[in-house]
Amino acid sequence: MLDVEELKEKFLNLQFDTKEFSLDADKVATVAKMSGETLPEFTDPNHPDFQVPPAIIASLAAGRHLPIEFPKLGGIPMDGGKAVTCIHPVKVGEPLTGRTHLHDIYAKTGRSGRMVFLVSRMEIFDANGTHVATSDSRMVIREKPAQ
Amino acid sequence: MSVKTISDVEFGVELPPFQPDTSLRATAAFAEAVGWGRGGRFNDHERARKEGLPGALVPGIMAMGFLTSMIHHWSPVAKVEHIDTVFRAPLLADQPCTISAVVTDIATEEGLVQLDLTVKNSADETRVFGTANVRLPLS
Repeated sequence: MLDVEELKEKFLNLQFDTKEFSLDADKVATVAKMSGETLPEFTDPNHPDFQVPPAIIASLAAGRHLPIEFPKLGGIPMDGGKAVTCIHPVKVGEPLTGRTHLHDIYAKTGRSGRMVFLVSRMEIFDANGTHVATSDSRMVIREKPAQ
Repeated sequence: MSVKTISDVEFGVELPPFQPDTSLRATAAFAEAVGWGRGGRFNDHERARKEGLPGALVPGIMAMGFLTSMIHHWSPVAKVEHIDTVFRAPLLADQPCTISAVVTDIATEEGLVQLDLTVKNSADETRVFGTANVRLPLS
């Protein structure tokens, strides 16, 4: 069984990944349109305020899910959800940098056993180094009963 | 009526219903655009079943996209500052879903609205839920 307090002490708030992203305008527009978006600032790459919708920000994946020294997860990992904070409009056509750390680790116990939640936070910066958005990914591990 | 300023918002009001496109064509196009097009999970029911899934899925972040779009349909001037979605269970492609949002808090002086968000399948089971913080013009 994972020791949540020990993991928090050892791994929280330590950056473990940096990754560069370059977004394709047509793909960004496709994501917006398939989501039912109709505002041209999200669907029309020629719009002067064309920008990235939150779903694209949520899709940006770090080079690795967890710090390299993180212990093996004993259970079945699942995608528990995503959260996006938009600080400034994210423009297409300029490089973005995502810096990732573990933001939170917590456990919940129910009838089916214990589930451990790992919240990985990617802070996204534009080419000027301005923090433009934050994306949280919740990974849920349902621990095996024997653990 | 489209919402133009914070004073147009009433506590407890439900946003107008929005019927998203959950067709396999849409989920496949979405998955391809975010780089998840390989494999059959979002674009091929048969291949998804071979992976042990009940069928091809709607990507979780596509549900986030549906909810953001619904907010923009309600108010084209709304800025979604924060959206948090919990993926409780999978949504299947080619099956209709209902999405809803309700105003749960208003900070009039700041122009901020909080919404509770829900995505249900055709069996009325909640598959995705969450919250959004949205900023609207003061006047």
